[in-house]
Amino acid sequence: MHICTVIGNVWATQKEGTLTGLRLLVVRPFTTAATQSAETMIAVDTVSAGIGERVLVVHGRAARTAIGKGNDVCFQTAIVGIVDSMELEGGRVVGQTAASDRADASGRGAK
Amino acid sequence: MFLGRVIGQVWATQQNPDLDGKRLLVIEPLDDSRDPSAPKVSPVVAADPIGAGIGEEVIVAFGKAARVACGGDGDYAFEAAVVGIVDDFDVPGAPASWRSGGGDA
Repeated sequence: MHICTVIGNVWATQKEGTLTGLRLLVVRPFTTAATQSAETMIAVDTVSAGIGERVLVVHGRAARTAIGKGNDVCFQTAIVGIVDSMELEGGRVVGQTAASDRADASGRGAK
Repeated sequence: MFLGRVIGQVWATQQNPDLDGKRLLVIEPLDDSRDPSAPKVSPVVAADPIGAGIGEEVIVAFGKAARVACGGDGDYAFEAAVVGIVDDFDVPGAPASWRSGGGDA
């Protein structure tokens, strides 16, 4: 399971039959470094995620389970959750979108 | 299956019901890069059935092994789980960063 940011949509009309009706999003893996990952992936959306949101992405059979159309779906990546927040080492708080990130947890009491 | 260090925890409200009640940890794989400027690998999110804490080195399993560790069958919508907390390791030549997670010690 990885944390990714949704960066776009992708549509395909001509596709394998088991993919019909699936919403496909382009996602980019989250890194703790200051530089963004150059890698992107396509994942089936099962939780109505939007662009810019950080999401939980699973692979393989877990993805097919989440898609809910049995184990013979020819796809292996799915979004299974939308991140509310992450608390990392050093008090760094990572929010649902990049705009809601905080360098440390000091702002928590303010809400 | 890999060795990683717990660097945080993640919460989600809108999620697959299979994840409800699961403690989800953010784990950075211990990579063998001696070059600090090398790009970092993406952290992995794993369910934690055994109670690891931030800064600890852990063993993470993928796939069915992970689902079994969480007491499930093959049909859970996640595929990574913490299956062990490392007491000690001996990897000659391992980068110093492998130990930095001991952090508070």
